[in-house]
Amino acid sequence: MSFRLQWPRTLASRLSLIFLVGLILAQALSFGAQYYERFQSARSTMLGNMRNDVSTSIAILDRLPAQERPAWLKQLSRTNYDYLLSVGESGAPLDPEADEVPVAVTSISAALGGAHPLGFTRFAGEQKHFQAHVRLSDGSPVTIDVRPAMPPLSPWLPGVLLGQLALLIACTWLAVRIAIRPLARLANAVDTLDPNAHPVMLDEQGPIEVAHAARAFNAMQTRIAAYLKERMQLLAAISHDLQTPITRMKLRAEFMDDSVEKDKLWHDLGEMEHLVREGVAYARSIHGSTEESRRTDLDAFLDSLVFDYQDMGKDVRLIGKSAAVIDTRPQALRRVLVNLTDNALKFAGAAEVWVEAHKDSLAITVMDRGPGIADAELAHVLQPFYRVENSRNRDTGGTGLGLAIAQQLAMALGGSLTLSNREGGGLCAVLKLPLQP
Amino acid sequence: MEHVDHILIVDDDREIRELVGNYLKKNGLRTTVVADGRQMRSFLEANTVDLIVLDIMMPGDDGLQVCRELRVGKHKATPVLMLTARNDETDRIIGLEMGADDYLTKPFAARELLARINAVLRRTRMLPPNLVVTESGRLLGFGRWQLDTSARHLLDQDGTLVALSGAEYRLLRVFLDHPQRVLSRDQLLNLTQGREADLFDRSIDLLVSRLRQRLLDDAREPAYIKTVRSEGYVFSLPVEIFGASA
Repeated sequence: MSFRLQWPRTLASRLSLIFLVGLILAQALSFGAQYYERFQSARSTMLGNMRNDVSTSIAILDRLPAQERPAWLKQLSRTNYDYLLSVGESGAPLDPEADEVPVAVTSISAALGGAHPLGFTRFAGEQKHFQAHVRLSDGSPVTIDVRPAMPPLSPWLPGVLLGQLALLIACTWLAVRIAIRPLARLANAVDTLDPNAHPVMLDEQGPIEVAHAARAFNAMQTRIAAYLKERMQLLAAISHDLQTPITRMKLRAEFMDDSVEKDKLWHDLGEMEHLVREGVAYARSIHGSTEESRRTDLDAFLDSLVFDYQDMGKDVRLIGKSAAVIDTRPQALRRVLVNLTDNALKFAGAAEVWVEAHKDSLAITVMDRGPGIADAELAHVLQPFYRVENSRNRDTGGTGLGLAIAQQLAMALGGSLTLSNREGGGLCAVLKLPLQP
Repeated sequence: MEHVDHILIVDDDREIRELVGNYLKKNGLRTTVVADGRQMRSFLEANTVDLIVLDIMMPGDDGLQVCRELRVGKHKATPVLMLTARNDETDRIIGLEMGADDYLTKPFAARELLARINAVLRRTRMLPPNLVVTESGRLLGFGRWQLDTSARHLLDQDGTLVALSGAEYRLLRVFLDHPQRVLSRDQLLNLTQGREADLFDRSIDLLVSRLRQRLLDDAREPAYIKTVRSEGYVFSLPVEIFGASA
């Protein structure tokens, strides 16, 4: 079984990891170096002291009468070593000339300087515990029992180390956050970028790099909006300027004698006129409407729409009631439904408008029993100038803009438009609108 | 001598105004064509006409401004039919607010223009309204309702928009223009035949009942539109004119 470390997925955790590991290592190195340095100096001080201390102590014991010696032992005893007036315990002999002898052995040897016979024994188990066996001038034995120990660490040291760690983590988190946040903001702005709506400018404050990125993004956004606007203006201008020549042609055609040619010309002019109107309408729907939202009685709204069709002798029926009052832009909503209904009438000759209110949304469905649209093409028909490739459509002379306009306006209304094929044939266009409480 | 209606055509496109002029002449009307607002004003100094066909998209002179001027001068009773180049709701609304009696979107067919001219002339002559809405953005108030005459919808007491179909609006507008006056079915039919004259074949009775429903009027004891046996209908409430509101 092999365990592989996974490189974290987010930039934030990668940066955090790099910072944290680096800083902790650096901190550990400097702590270790200091600790070693302190250990070294403490040891040499201690050994120096020990050397003086041991030579003094042995000299005192040497000069004292034998019966007074025990009383002094207490005062001569130190933290790491004390004196015993005995031959000591037996252990493994220790050769002072060998490599791995405790440094204290050398200190003691140097302290006594060969003035007294000296031998060492060491004990297994306890680390570096050894005894130095000395004979005083009167021949009585003295044993120095040495238990080397590190100078004790301050009890507050772990606290300080933990505090440092916490500080490191906090600083890393802050730095990473500062570095990541503008990136997240930028990604968010790109995500929500809608050149048709009013541009949402990024804040151009902050560190130089961030401000630069924000400025670049804002400039790009403005450029895209300008291109789109130009495109739409071009479309609108062409459509608009075509109206005058078409008007002239229509007027001239009316002076012609009745003939097949006149009818054909009339029909062609009708198609051109339709395209021009839809072009202007599409340009306007893309460019966003200036129409204000109004509280609208939806049932009356749909009634009026359907009655207008019925008054023109069209087979359009309204089914269902919503009893809803919605905030919407009535002209835009009307345009969406008119385009969907016109489409249904064109292909099926009849349309049904269903309305259903749900808890927080409402669905207005325009259905027909026409030929429907092949599933593969359903997504494409909402694109401008797209026409379903079948001969049927060519005859009806659609512009390919009606559904695109409906889609644009549905989005502008905060809703969505989806097309699907009905069971048993026909197209079903569902306009979903948010329902405010 | 029989009166021949005199139509003044104001359009900056020479061909269009001449083609329209010739077509109307061919159909028994007297026509004068001018190119802009300046020429129109100087012509109207010395002449009167029965109807003005006015293009609102003219370079130099805003057709809407010309229309507004017409509505305050000595020709304020002369009906105006506007031609707009844009298929735009706002243009239509502004045009009607400025006092145009009807509008037509370019490109239009000459025979449609002729039908509109005749409809407007018939409407303004047959039964002059006893309630004259002359200024822009008027709301007509009656009972619990207000009718927005530019956007063509009803507003209830809460300001909620209640839409009207085209035929419903025209019928209600006829009633509101002639409040407390009995109107026969024939008169109502003639007066409501505006734009879609050939398309409108619903009987007046059906329309009245639809309108009553829309106004939440009880059909058995109607408060707004009362039936006058063997004569027709009467709009029984007084109508107020409000200024423009938001």
